[in-house]
Amino acid sequence: MDRITDDLKRPLVDLLLSIADDKFILGHRNADWTGLAPMLEEDIAFSSLAQDEIAHATALYQMAAGILGTTADKLAFRRTPEEYRCATIVEMSDDFNWATAICRNFFCDHFDLLRLERLTNSAYTALAQLAGRLAAEEKIHVDHVDSWMIRLGRGWEPAPARVQAALNELAEIAPTLLEPPPGLEKLEKAGIYPQSRSGLFEPWRDVLHDVVQSAGLTLQLHPPSPSAIGGRQGKHGPGFVTMLDELTEVFRIEPEAAW
Amino acid sequence: MVAPESVWDVLRTINDPEMPINIVDLGIVERIQVSSVPRPSIQIDLLPTFVGCPALPVIEAEIQKRVGQVAQGAAVEVHFRFHPPWTVDRISATGREALKKFGLTVPAVGQQGQTEAAQPSCPFCGSADVRIDSPFGPTRCRMIYYCETCRNPFEHIKRVGHESTLLNINPKERDAHDASIFRAPPKDLA
Repeated sequence: MDRITDDLKRPLVDLLLSIADDKFILGHRNADWTGLAPMLEEDIAFSSLAQDEIAHATALYQMAAGILGTTADKLAFRRTPEEYRCATIVEMSDDFNWATAICRNFFCDHFDLLRLERLTNSAYTALAQLAGRLAAEEKIHVDHVDSWMIRLGRGWEPAPARVQAALNELAEIAPTLLEPPPGLEKLEKAGIYPQSRSGLFEPWRDVLHDVVQSAGLTLQLHPPSPSAIGGRQGKHGPGFVTMLDELTEVFRIEPEAAW
Repeated sequence: MVAPESVWDVLRTINDPEMPINIVDLGIVERIQVSSVPRPSIQIDLLPTFVGCPALPVIEAEIQKRVGQVAQGAAVEVHFRFHPPWTVDRISATGREALKKFGLTVPAVGQQGQTEAAQPSCPFCGSADVRIDSPFGPTRCRMIYYCETCRNPFEHIKRVGHESTLLNINPKERDAHDASIFRAPPKDLA
């Protein structure tokens, strides 16, 4: 399918924004470590991860902007907080706890990859092609974060204890990633977001479990409550507005400036 | 109307802004189409090495400028496409040689990048005794290796894809690999 019918435009925009906002905000949070990571290689790694995520978000914002008749910059910087569709786990601060930063990426990158891989089979050709490319790049993130989970999990104390504590804490909010954006069922029906019988929870839990087991850690994950309302519907945590203020500060000084 | 061959020739004079290699040898030029209807135009399809690579706008501007000079009034249109995906296999033999001289290695054509055999040789001394120093590097498409023989770090172009990186090995192999790295702490630290 090369064209999107009018009734599918809004649901598709919400799906694109939910993926792009996850990536944009996670990229922003990853960039917090630039200059501060525990070693030089990780400083470079987290800066590269952030660049990747923000570049991915840009490509997705551009696709959504084409449908809405706006620009990627406006989508990224000029929406109100409740118009953002990102999940709670990407927006919270990691308080410069390395274990939290790694575990957050672990949950998010694996979910992101599964979601993109599913979209490579989208009936909407342009999205399928973009998702294929994004998935290939996201795989690098997954490999990197997996190697860190194993390194920390099998490392000397206090590394395993700290990473286990961060896993336990984040396991509570990680399933917010699975909250469907508004109108997702319409996209599933149209084949734009290909449906699978088990959904994404089981494949995600299983792939996380494999790594956690290999790292000598444990993880208890529960599917999100179907009635929970969170980031995908625009309901964000207490720190979100402050973070967004900081993120859009430079843009707001001169919104029409050419970059 | 300008011949597509002469557009290809112009593109061979445009280098990637971050590496000493022209964009045709880099393999990012997928297609050139010259048409007279509905209006005179030169359509150039490019395949980004990485999504949103900051070099892309620079390359596009350079194409607009240089192809514009030979376009005989035709509009120059640059399109970025993700299909087929760019891979390191698209880098020409000439391009590989130029990058090697620059100290940048490229995965061999067709290698899946996950076995020992896929390791590059040091571009300075040719040694195969190299290890990954960092899976990330100065640009998004590069990683850093270290040569144990001549003790130089060098950069390597990543193979992006589902069988892409060296860290992507199956769990059993990974366990064996890790067992060789993660030793018990020295007694005075335990």
